[in-house]
Amino acid sequence: MSEQNNGLNTANEDNTPHPNYWRSFESLYRDPKVIEAKAHEFKEGVTDDFSPSGMSNISRRKFFALLGASAALAGTACTDYRDKGEIVPYNVKPEEITVGKPNYYASTCTACPNACGILIKTREGRPIKIDGNPDHPVNKGKICAKGQANILNLYDPERIKAPQKNSSLTFNEVSWKDADNEIITALGLAGSDEIALITHSITSPTMLKVIDDFKAKYPTAKLYSYELFNDSIKNSAWRKTYGSGNFPLLKWDEAKVILSLESDFLGTEGHKVETSRLFSQNRDVDSKKFTRLYCIDSNITITGINSDYRLHIRPEAQLEFVLSLANEIAKKGNITSAISASGYDLNNFAKKYNLDSKILNYLVSDLIANKGKSIITAGNSLPENVHIAVNLLNDALGNKNLYRTDSSSVSLVDHSTIEEFEALVQKMNAGSVAVVINIDCNPVYHFADDLGFEKALAKVPLSITLTERLNETTAVTHYALPLNHNFESWGDAKVRTNVFSLQQPVIAPIHQTRQKESILLSWISGKSDSFTEYLYLTYLKNNWEKNIYPTLNSKISFDKFWLGALHDGIVKTTSPVISYGAANTGSFDESKIEIKNPEGFTLIIKENYSLGDGRFAHNGWLQELPHPVSKATWDNYAALSEKTCKDFGLKDNDLIEVSVENRKLKLPVLMQAGTADNVIVVESGFGRTNSGTVATGVGFNVNSLLSSKSNLSPWIYSNAKITKTGDTYLVATTQEHHVFDDPLVQDLHIIRKIIQEGTVAEYLKNPSFIKENNEAQLPSVSNPYPYNGVKWGMAIDLNKCTGCGDCVVACDVENNIPVVGKDQVLKSREMQWLRIDRYYSGSPDNPKVSIQPMLCQHCDQAPCENVCPVVATTHSPDGLNQMTYNRCVGTRYCSNNCPYKVRRFNFYNFRDHFRDSYQENPILALMHNPEVTVRSRGVMEKCTFCVQRISEARADATHLKRNLKGSDVTTACQDACSSNAIYFGDINDKEEEFYKYRNHELGYYVLEELNVKPNVTYIAKLRNIHSEEV
Amino acid sequence: MKKSFLDYIFRNRLPVVLFVVIASFTLTYFVSRAERDGVGYSPDQPIAYSHKLHAGDMKIDCQYCHVGVEKSRHAMVPAVATCMNCHTVARKDKPEIVKLTEYYINGIPLKWKRIHKVPDYAYFNHSVHVNKGIDCTACHGEITTMEKVGQMNSFTMGSCLNCHRNAHAKFPELRDKIKPGPEYCSACHR
Repeated sequence: MSEQNNGLNTANEDNTPHPNYWRSFESLYRDPKVIEAKAHEFKEGVTDDFSPSGMSNISRRKFFALLGASAALAGTACTDYRDKGEIVPYNVKPEEITVGKPNYYASTCTACPNACGILIKTREGRPIKIDGNPDHPVNKGKICAKGQANILNLYDPERIKAPQKNSSLTFNEVSWKDADNEIITALGLAGSDEIALITHSITSPTMLKVIDDFKAKYPTAKLYSYELFNDSIKNSAWRKTYGSGNFPLLKWDEAKVILSLESDFLGTEGHKVETSRLFSQNRDVDSKKFTRLYCIDSNITITGINSDYRLHIRPEAQLEFVLSLANEIAKKGNITSAISASGYDLNNFAKKYNLDSKILNYLVSDLIANKGKSIITAGNSLPENVHIAVNLLNDALGNKNLYRTDSSSVSLVDHSTIEEFEALVQKMNAGSVAVVINIDCNPVYHFADDLGFEKALAKVPLSITLTERLNETTAVTHYALPLNHNFESWGDAKVRTNVFSLQQPVIAPIHQTRQKESILLSWISGKSDSFTEYLYLTYLKNNWEKNIYPTLNSKISFDKFWLGALHDGIVKTTSPVISYGAANTGSFDESKIEIKNPEGFTLIIKENYSLGDGRFAHNGWLQELPHPVSKATWDNYAALSEKTCKDFGLKDNDLIEVSVENRKLKLPVLMQAGTADNVIVVESGFGRTNSGTVATGVGFNVNSLLSSKSNLSPWIYSNAKITKTGDTYLVATTQEHHVFDDPLVQDLHIIRKIIQEGTVAEYLKNPSFIKENNEAQLPSVSNPYPYNGVKWGMAIDLNKCTGCGDCVVACDVENNIPVVGKDQVLKSREMQWLRIDRYYSGSPDNPKVSIQPMLCQHCDQAPCENVCPVVATTHSPDGLNQMTYNRCVGTRYCSNNCPYKVRRFNFYNFRDHFRDSYQENPILALMHNPEVTVRSRGVMEKCTFCVQRISEARADATHLKRNLKGSDVTTACQDACSSNAIYFGDINDKEEEFYKYRNHELGYYVLEELNVKPNVTYIAKLRNIHSEEV
Repeated sequence: MKKSFLDYIFRNRLPVVLFVVIASFTLTYFVSRAERDGVGYSPDQPIAYSHKLHAGDMKIDCQYCHVGVEKSRHAMVPAVATCMNCHTVARKDKPEIVKLTEYYINGIPLKWKRIHKVPDYAYFNHSVHVNKGIDCTACHGEITTMEKVGQMNSFTMGSCLNCHRNAHAKFPELRDKIKPGPEYCSACHR
């Protein structure tokens, strides 16, 4: 169609997709409703809530009577109108506290088994923000969204505040003494019956010793550990190939070519923070180092959206693919094939699954050309023989070079096998288990229904759950004992061979909680009064002094060593250089290959990016963080490909029933571009019951589709079916919110240069190809303000940004951003100051993806400033677009006039509005950053470039009698970005690293043609594709 | 033409009423200004502490007690323990010191009446001002002569800007050292 080329979009009658940039299927097919909606700043129905008919029907007379009465009352009540309250200083001030100045303590994050080192920022003894510990060799000062949002768990008003006893379906508070007495008696009477301890992964060597002591005291005790999503298949495959150990750590930063098979290594698999850093080091416009990432998977993940080439196949075909690839490499690269499986041919494979054989040819030649410098990685969910084949293929290609030799991951306790759990359930049913203790885990929610754990638990005489908050498991156990939060606990962790990590409390337990180790220790002692505040600290210190310190060959005394280690939060150790032996080529058993052509649907169950396995479902910030790919919030859904939807007559938000064997679940449909056909992708972590105000009833419990007897792997099920129910269910996605609106222009994002991209080859040939494209500097009608001093600016490297959203949560925490709830997200009222825009281009079957973090651009000629009738938004001499809340009267003109759509309006006091004033609970006030105003209803807000940090840095510089430098300030999003994609600093300071990126040849401004002179520079994304494709 | 009742109201009564209303409002506005701004507010404190005695006569440095003033946004009211540095020995028998000692021994927080306050949305920073050489008395008045501390100056935004704009006139001795204070919003509001 010729009119497409001139960039004008006429009504699209024939409903054909245009290969352009698009955000959603609605915009791709020019849904008139969406186009109409984009023309409006605020969604329809914005005034519905305020309709007079819906308001209280109090009469005018009565209203005036009440007004008069309250005025009279106020007049008499204000006897001391000059009173300004009180100042209550410390009675004895702790030496380290200066009121108004934060203190930082090093600790360890226990939000997931990666055990990152963290720095906890406290103000007057209250933790308010989490950053990574820069000295920690693994996460190097960065921390993921879950770790950031963990602060909300500490102050969660719905934590259990005292021990609870479940007596006939009601919970009664009991004292620790009574609970301990009953439990200790029951443990003592266990006799030959088993005492089952169920935990998640154990990362603490001292916790392990506590469990050993527990077993010594109660000899029938048995430890079970599990993770719903784990890498046990990968590790067992490794042991079959190499004899011992776990799958090694990889040198992502040295790989020239990476092939990911169904692996989301930048998202949910492995150590996301570390991997993102290493991966993005290899996408560096500065050193001009670029890796090439191929993704062959069934669903589009964070890794998939960052790939240079992506093909989708169903997971059942992965084995066939690896074998065909191995044969092709052996044939073309003259390498003796490690896998003896003839009869698999890549060309046939490409034909069978309708794949682009050109891309496969590139892949083969790249892998051959980069022998020893490439990585093939298979996803945790794939079956064991795929992993073995991948190990052998890596071995044959010499990719063992990229296995790290300096360090490897440590697993203190292997996860229990499904057979062990089946045996446990049998014993529970047979009455030979006396006590079940769930240590900070939720097996009733996590375990497959056909394991029968919940029913068996009812037959156990005494069941105890140690937990921070009520959940599915506490509902059916006799006791729910409250645990300390991460930041209230002592501990240690060892997850890598070369480092120990220490955990220290930064606040005394807020409620009557104890840490899990102390609870076990007091049961070990057999006396209910043995608990003291220092019980576990003493034990921990003793264990370190006797067992760990001697192995470290430290030259200083233990006391000094201990204080130093607590201060640093880590102890680095030397670990022997790891060597990798020869691969056992016989480990791949050809006779076990069963290639079945998949029938029906394939169901894939995945870990949710923000909620994990459900551990963070009660955390509003994480629920509201848009999914990195689909941008859905507050729900899970069945992601289906466009073709599948068409075949079955489905559209977004249709409710379908997914069934595998006899297990059924109703789920809403979300048409997800880039999903393989006939694949259903559902994320876990939702559908919680009995889990508090925030989590309960959000989404659907996909664990009910799990089977303990899975044929392929626990997360992939063949032969699933879907049936249409005819009902609909709205999923709140933010992808069409806050869009750049110009319904008349097609390919808007390219034509108006919102997204600018190129290829590595193009860049190496002509480094200034972006700059040449940029608009000529337009003259201004007014005299520009001379910014002579420090002027703040930001640069975002789109090559490094993976789109994970950690920065969004960091911003939420730093700037006191409220959770608004699903009903408000549906009305486009999410309050996050920073959003990650995601654009697709090309075919909806397998789109290319462009990611762009979008925040206030702090334009020099800001359009918002000109239209504010009350001068509430103005410009500062250091280049900030300021927002003064106490001046704002809520006209929303500024938001209407903002070309970037980054302003957010408080339609409510959202703290009051969300879930019945849940966020107004006084305990949550302790969490707020005291340096940032808590906004109320009726004011506009937006990114401030963390002006509170700038002010603090300026005050500190004045104190030290020196000038403020750009490098004195880092923003919260920059601190959180594990791939170091965000730079912040002084635009005028030529010495700084930031200056290089601000003036980079690949730099551009979004909507530069408007000449609003933004202060956020984007570094154009380069795709590392083959030059002949350009 | 006979004057109607309405004429009387418009010509005579209305201007008089308006004059009285406007005049009394204007007068009240200016007369009560200091009162409304809190100037002169000098409440009784739980301990009758004398700044005149300590800071004036004995010349104890302000920062002996207000330790945060150079480092932090807050000057900090001293902890009871700071008083006890001297008063475990000095004047132990005086009734106010006996009261103070009780607070200390029993660990009861001492609730001082707040005198100076800027609104929550204004982020005043002591350390910046003090480190630039602005004397405490510029805002707090001659504390060294006050038996009981009261508010001497207005703490409104107008008062802040009055100094920020006319810094050189207000502090001639700092003319070469300081620039006029910032006037942009986010200097104080964020």
